[in-house]
Amino acid sequence: MIIELLTALPSAAPHIEGYVYPNEQTLLWSVLIVIYPYITGLVAGAFILASLVRVFRVSELEPAYRLSLLTALAFLLVAPLPLLFHLGHPERCYEPVITPHLSSPMAMFGFVYAWYIMAVLLLELWFDYRKDLVEWSKKERGVRAWIYRLLTVGVHDVSEPALQLDARMAKAITIIGIPSAFLLHGYVGFIFGSIKANPWWGNPLMPIIFIFSAVVSGIALCVFIYLILNRLRGLPQDIDCLDAMGKFLFLALVIDASLEALDWVHRLYAAEESIHVLKSLAAGKLFYSLLVVQVCMGTFVPLVLLGSIQLFRKRIAEGVRRWTYFGCSVLILVGVLAMRWNVVIGGQLFSKSLRGFTAYKFELAGQEGWLVALFLLLLPFLILAVFIRYFLPLKTDAGVHPLTELPDHKAV
Amino acid sequence: MKSPPTPAHVQPLNRRRWLAVLGSSLAGLFSLVPSRRAEGGGRERQKEAAMPDGYDPTRHRWLMALDINRCIGCALCVAACKTENKVPPEPTYFRTWIERYIIRKPGPGSGELRGSTIVDSPNGGRDGFPPSAIPRDQILRSFFVPKLCNLCEQSPCTQACPVGATFQAPDGVVLVDPHYCIGCGFCIQSCPYGCRFLNPNTRTAEKCTLCYHRITRGLKPACVEVCPGGARIFGDAMHPLPDDPLSEFVAKNKVQTLKPYLGTGPRVLYAGMDKEVR
Amino acid sequence: MRPHRIPPQILRLILLTLAIVGVYSVARYFLTPASFGRYGWYRAAALGEIAAYPPDYAGKAACAQCHKDKAEQIAKGPHKALSCESCHGPGMAHVGNPDVKLVKPAAPLCLRCHEANPSRPEWLKQVTLADHYGENCLECHVPHQPNEAP
Repeated sequence: MIIELLTALPSAAPHIEGYVYPNEQTLLWSVLIVIYPYITGLVAGAFILASLVRVFRVSELEPAYRLSLLTALAFLLVAPLPLLFHLGHPERCYEPVITPHLSSPMAMFGFVYAWYIMAVLLLELWFDYRKDLVEWSKKERGVRAWIYRLLTVGVHDVSEPALQLDARMAKAITIIGIPSAFLLHGYVGFIFGSIKANPWWGNPLMPIIFIFSAVVSGIALCVFIYLILNRLRGLPQDIDCLDAMGKFLFLALVIDASLEALDWVHRLYAAEESIHVLKSLAAGKLFYSLLVVQVCMGTFVPLVLLGSIQLFRKRIAEGVRRWTYFGCSVLILVGVLAMRWNVVIGGQLFSKSLRGFTAYKFELAGQEGWLVALFLLLLPFLILAVFIRYFLPLKTDAGVHPLTELPDHKAV
Repeated sequence: MKSPPTPAHVQPLNRRRWLAVLGSSLAGLFSLVPSRRAEGGGRERQKEAAMPDGYDPTRHRWLMALDINRCIGCALCVAACKTENKVPPEPTYFRTWIERYIIRKPGPGSGELRGSTIVDSPNGGRDGFPPSAIPRDQILRSFFVPKLCNLCEQSPCTQACPVGATFQAPDGVVLVDPHYCIGCGFCIQSCPYGCRFLNPNTRTAEKCTLCYHRITRGLKPACVEVCPGGARIFGDAMHPLPDDPLSEFVAKNKVQTLKPYLGTGPRVLYAGMDKEVR
Repeated sequence: MRPHRIPPQILRLILLTLAIVGVYSVARYFLTPASFGRYGWYRAAALGEIAAYPPDYAGKAACAQCHKDKAEQIAKGPHKALSCESCHGPGMAHVGNPDVKLVKPAAPLCLRCHEANPSRPEWLKQVTLADHYGENCLECHVPHQPNEAP
């Protein structure tokens, strides 16, 4: 009878090592929750890059200003979708806004999101584009004119004092926008950092690490899109703009890498109860995604390459620099995605009993599958393509590059 | 906008009530909404399910305690819980489960008093525990530990719920509102004890309710009802019965809680615990 | 034109903000469940809904109402702490309709508690099947009074 029972027992599934609490055997949060912080991070980072132009007057970045803002908006529009799709009851998604439980960081999502998209991003874009919208709505015909006219919200005043007010407002909004971008992504980091039950997540550094990896990924995304867009449109690449982006990408990457290193140094030195399980996690199940992809390819290689360009810029040919920026941006984008994977999936691979591991099961189709995640990662690029078509026109009346005519700088 | 509350549901203004009022006014300010629909004004009031006769959640404080020395590892409790609460049958969903701890003898000359610890819980113990593969002569000590919701005073799960779908009821039971849960899973991640899961059928979070539908009717929770060893002790800390087993239990035993260092303030007490239990 | 006119852009924004707050307030008014906030930040009606689930296990007292003899018999022996439903399974269906028969337990159930296992506490009576009489517990033991021979 004992033998019968033993063979009949659906005992620990083959993918379990050691002991995990029974309810922990399957991963609750999957790829959708991996790409959610990834997408919001890209938003925050792209916005920070744009704010460098407005607030810190980094004039080299002007050619990428509007592109960064539109990129941020395109990704922000998609940001809530992975959250929505992963809910057990998506039809109840209004509840966190109607009865927000103030002690829950997740309840803040609706408010932080609404604030960021309406009070920051859309407003800044509106003030920045208002003059153009009025002009375009007069010049264009058909649907286009309609769209532009709708977006003016009935304000057609493009007199000099009105444009000066626009510039002042846009600057004020950018100044509010920087802490808001930090809030948007710091909050995402806090969702994980606040879970004290999980030693991999519950960490006060988590929001800060999230913010800086967000800045890194956002700038890398802007570099990537800027290079691709100019290539597609057959425009010359503005190497000064690229060098400036490369410089800020390097700075952000240095801070990000230091913070993550500090996190590990602290973990290893403090060596709390959980350190053994975390060490075997890093050396085992997360070896490729953490040590190879995130640390080596996503952080170390770009650091060396971008650092060399900072040191020997004059001696490196423009073409080489362009390709290096392109390569680094791709590596960083993949590396930060791996970082999100390591946090979200890695945090669920070990048991809170600290006695064992479970495994991630690959799922292609299905609600939380890779296909949905891939679609959600591509969707912002489609939205951005539409934005670019409507709001980054190729030719202008004066024949000058449209982005160098920022009202802010004209007014000053 | 605000209809006067009818006397039938006027609550005494105790501290809990005040906190609720304070919380809702804070939230009101927060969202610039002057008033919410007055309680009892809507149609929902009429179809609201009534409590079993005479049950007042503010007059109880339920609690469970576990005596590890009395647990024989039959795990009838696990099977009863699954039946009583319609818990999905798969071995990855449990409201309560039994863990078996086996502490091996130390290797000769290892300088240790105890060897390695092996923990298992085949199918949560639902089918009982046949003797383990480790021979008896290699075992220094072994015991069973029943696990369930720890009814934390500062419960991280209710703190994390974004909508107020999981909460500690006035009688101390931490419940999930299946008609309000959005199924985000944040509470499941927040529970340090692995006591929650996402029910694949209802797609909402689920956990031990101390058999709320039983205790409100004067019955014991199903696991306590079927426990043959007296390992599960259940009672009301606010109005204990004359022969209340809980009072006797805490008077006789030195008790501990699980993971006290997390500051969750678990109310479920354990007697006869070992340092290896987490 | 008055000198201190609100600029049109700002006016539009103020109106838009008021509209959003207004829509939110109305939505909040209608979508907040009625019983929300009675005891705390949750729907108080959920308590009654959860309490309304039907129990499967009836409890020992319910069994004793009809099976007084068995209840008295078991109270005399070492199985006195056991609930009827520990061995016979959930009994609410049987309480409602006596035609619904409950489980007649057999040896595997005895062994679930009494099979020798180094993890079980020493106070519990345990048998190693190989040294005992096989899975024929009920030939010698009466579960309601385990110390008595049948």
